[in-house]
Amino acid sequence: MEFLLEGFQNLSWQQVVMWAIGGLLIYLAICKDMEPALLLPMGFGAILVNLPLSPVIREDGIINSLFQVGIAASEAMPLLLFIGIGCMIDFGPLLTNPKLFILGGAAQLGIFVTIILAAMIGFPLNDAAAIGIIGAADGPTAILVAMKLVSNYMGPIMVVAYSYMALVPIVQPVVMKLCTTKKERLIKMKYSAKQVPQLMRILFPIIVTVVSGLIAPDSLSLVGMLMFGNLLRECGVLKSLSETAQTAFSNIITLLLGITISFQMQAAAFLSFETLIIMLLGLFAFVFDTIGGVMCAKIMNLFSKEKINPLIGAAGISAFPMAARVVEKVGIKEDPSNHLLMHAVGANVSGQIASAIVGGLIVGIILPLI
Amino acid sequence: MLNIIGLLAAFENLTPMNWDVILPALNFLWQGMLAIFVVIGLIILVVKITGFTINKVTEVKAKRNANNDEQQNS
Repeated sequence: MEFLLEGFQNLSWQQVVMWAIGGLLIYLAICKDMEPALLLPMGFGAILVNLPLSPVIREDGIINSLFQVGIAASEAMPLLLFIGIGCMIDFGPLLTNPKLFILGGAAQLGIFVTIILAAMIGFPLNDAAAIGIIGAADGPTAILVAMKLVSNYMGPIMVVAYSYMALVPIVQPVVMKLCTTKKERLIKMKYSAKQVPQLMRILFPIIVTVVSGLIAPDSLSLVGMLMFGNLLRECGVLKSLSETAQTAFSNIITLLLGITISFQMQAAAFLSFETLIIMLLGLFAFVFDTIGGVMCAKIMNLFSKEKINPLIGAAGISAFPMAARVVEKVGIKEDPSNHLLMHAVGANVSGQIASAIVGGLIVGIILPLI
Repeated sequence: MLNIIGLLAAFENLTPMNWDVILPALNFLWQGMLAIFVVIGLIILVVKITGFTINKVTEVKAKRNANNDEQQNS
């Protein structure tokens, strides 16, 4: 009868803590509607992999196998998810006002500042860079970079990346208000809904792929998949493929990705003092991303005749489309007639591309050094 | 400050204020930001040129069509 007690005998307090963390993620997903598509599978997975003698994490276990095939071997899952994301994105608002692209670049500041801080705290270079990429506000990019740089903190990085993305509506408004004056927040921007020619929409993903491939070749896997998805959407002849990529395909990958990531949430690797520091650094990255975007918009105002509302700079962080919605909400709060959504969406989609490029750049710069 | 460094140093995986790691990280700040702005600048430039060319071609086509219509009417 001893086999009935085997599970209890092998149970450790760390595993119980991980159950609580898993429960918290499930609670946040269901009750607070925070990134439920990812936090719920991750939460359940955290419980699943932390049961004593859990067969799912053995060499031939399902979660282990999914992780090895879908993430470790080729980073296939996050990359395939990028096809779906690319299909969902309309680059129209960015193409009508290409200078918004600059905000997407500036809002990556938090990544680099966080790398410096993580290095000062004492993380090795590869881990510092992988932690910094939380500031990309983009789950698949964070996973891919952490994998490529062989980070020891993949689990915490993934959980923190997705958790903070869900916390964008709480974190960003505070920083946006601290960095802007009331007068700046009231700046109205004209939006002319110009029709972007279909040819331009088709050429854009190809242009982005070629340019980023020539300058930052390591970003090609991320940018290429994102732009491939967008080309499917814009080409106009693959409607059913585009719809499938946006719905069923993305859903399947998201579902598998969430539960697969939980492989990295085993108590032994997850519960450490470093995890707490990574949580703080993740917050730091999001704050500095927002500051970077807002400040860049202010600097652009010094040189341009048509003033930009600095709030839209905050949408330059990836977190699509949540960051754009946050900007719209903050703008409306100041002046109910001031709609910034379309401008913010332009900055937001540029952030999506910029974060993928920065992810590739970091891998390209750091990989040879480790 | 020293207390914080001391606290961090107590953890075996952390080596606080290690300049061998901090200096490359500082380099990434300017290298990375420069690289991203170069990429973005180039994309904006190519997009603008492409947009300009597409508009010109569309205008020329429209003019040619208008001329053809006029000739046919006359």
